[in-house]
Amino acid sequence: MTRRGLLSLLAFALVWFLVLRYAIYGAAQFFMADAPGGLIVSFFNSTVINNLMSWQIPELAVFWVICLYLLPIFCVALTADQTASDRARGTLRLLHLRATRDGVFFGRFLGQMLILFMLILLALMTTLVLVLLRDSSLFIPALRLSFILLVNLLLVLLPYTALMAWVSSMASSARQATLYAVIIWIVCSIVTGWLSSQFPGLWGLDKVLPGAQVSGLLQLSGWNTLSLAYLPIIQTIVLLFLGRLMMQRSDW
Amino acid sequence: MNLLNCRDLVKKYGSTRALDGIDLTLEAGAPIALIGPNGAGKTTLFSILCGFLRPSGGEVEILGSKPGRSELHGRLAALPQDANLDPRFTIGHQLVLFARLQGLSAKQATAEAQRVLDQVELSKTFTMKPEALSHGMRKRVMFAQALMGNPELVLLDEPTAGLDPPNVKAMRTLISEAASQATFIISSHNLDELEKVCSSVIHLEKGKLKGVVSIDQSKSSGYLTLVMAELTATVEQIQQVLSAIKGVSGVSFNAPNRFVLDYDASNYPQIDLEVMQRISAMGWKYRQVVNGRTLEDQLYFE
Repeated sequence: MTRRGLLSLLAFALVWFLVLRYAIYGAAQFFMADAPGGLIVSFFNSTVINNLMSWQIPELAVFWVICLYLLPIFCVALTADQTASDRARGTLRLLHLRATRDGVFFGRFLGQMLILFMLILLALMTTLVLVLLRDSSLFIPALRLSFILLVNLLLVLLPYTALMAWVSSMASSARQATLYAVIIWIVCSIVTGWLSSQFPGLWGLDKVLPGAQVSGLLQLSGWNTLSLAYLPIIQTIVLLFLGRLMMQRSDW
Repeated sequence: MNLLNCRDLVKKYGSTRALDGIDLTLEAGAPIALIGPNGAGKTTLFSILCGFLRPSGGEVEILGSKPGRSELHGRLAALPQDANLDPRFTIGHQLVLFARLQGLSAKQATAEAQRVLDQVELSKTFTMKPEALSHGMRKRVMFAQALMGNPELVLLDEPTAGLDPPNVKAMRTLISEAASQATFIISSHNLDELEKVCSSVIHLEKGKLKGVVSIDQSKSSGYLTLVMAELTATVEQIQQVLSAIKGVSGVSFNAPNRFVLDYDASNYPQIDLEVMQRISAMGWKYRQVVNGRTLEDQLYFE
């Protein structure tokens, strides 16, 4: 456990405490107070809100929405330095004398995914405690739903982590890797947006970037959410392929 | 099986050829020096052998495998130039990780990390972070990581660069002690140091192989090196006097004060006495008379 790791964990814990106390707890109270067809639904009148209102456990519904938008940002910051600073420092050379380039690249990627898995698990467990404090009879359905959310959130984060693995293999620091990711993101958004407007026949272009399935996910519930799992998996495979190519071809 | 085989090895950086058609075959044995001026291609050659760089052309085989292959893990070790340990973790933690990657169990890895640190007399640094060490200590720790798991071939890129004389001596002793267990290839600018440790020299210049020279041969008779304490006569006068000695076929001068005599060793084995007598008779003062030539004279002043 390094100082940087402890600080990241502390930052995550503090942010999560605020989210849990004010966003999830507060929003859940608000949702429960609103009867079907009540104020919130009539005000927003969207399929997303309707879908979330139908969840048996509002805490987890709010958790789901917040995580879908918050975790990718945290993920990009956390996973930016997969190989970058090690390359600049020459530590990768010492590792490469004992491990293949593939071993280093995929090992780091899987390590980051493991850390994210544990953080999501931790966040889910604290939310579960909040649910159980309100109504302990919801333990089994909450556990089942938590498992669905865990799988889905990991799927959401897969392409973001793969993107950072790729850009990290080109960069010499975490900051440079983040900068590369932002540039790639903006350029891809502009290019795909322009191509879509010019050639309406190219219908799949809006699915190129990580997180493209998020708006679709909010309209689904339960294991139905996995119907969109193909998108982050394909994105991850493509990004890991690009990262591996860079890792194999780069000079250390 | 050869230790190392390079055939027409080329590495280009843009239009610059850092290595330009290197053909080299080496056998396992006594330490080998790799020398050459800055930009000669020493670090590039080491980096290709370790798999850090990909050659632009030609073929390389090291211990029977292509560089970077998993078959070489644990068999090939290196002290790469400018490679540092991660400052966030303790030295022990990182050495144990390296040992684990080399296939040792957790218990064996800890013991191995402690063994190599003990070997370089830095066992106390196991729980310390790299930033707490001096430059010399860091070099020794880096040397320690190269000794892990008893490798067959160890590449040391500038192991004494930036070290003070006591640390240079300590590093030389460490290399000499470890040389019985593995073949060392050592790149350095310090020819005096290499001469003390190595038995042969690979000479690179501008990316080309200038030759492979035996240091033992340079120390053998046929040459005599005279180091003057002060030059009380002109260089030409001294050369004239030395050339007049029977058996001497040539005298070259290497500034500021070194003369190398080329002589017939088989017929005039006692020529060193004659040289000393002649110098004494002229009233000149000398500092050293050494059989053979220095590596520097052999490589650069032939």
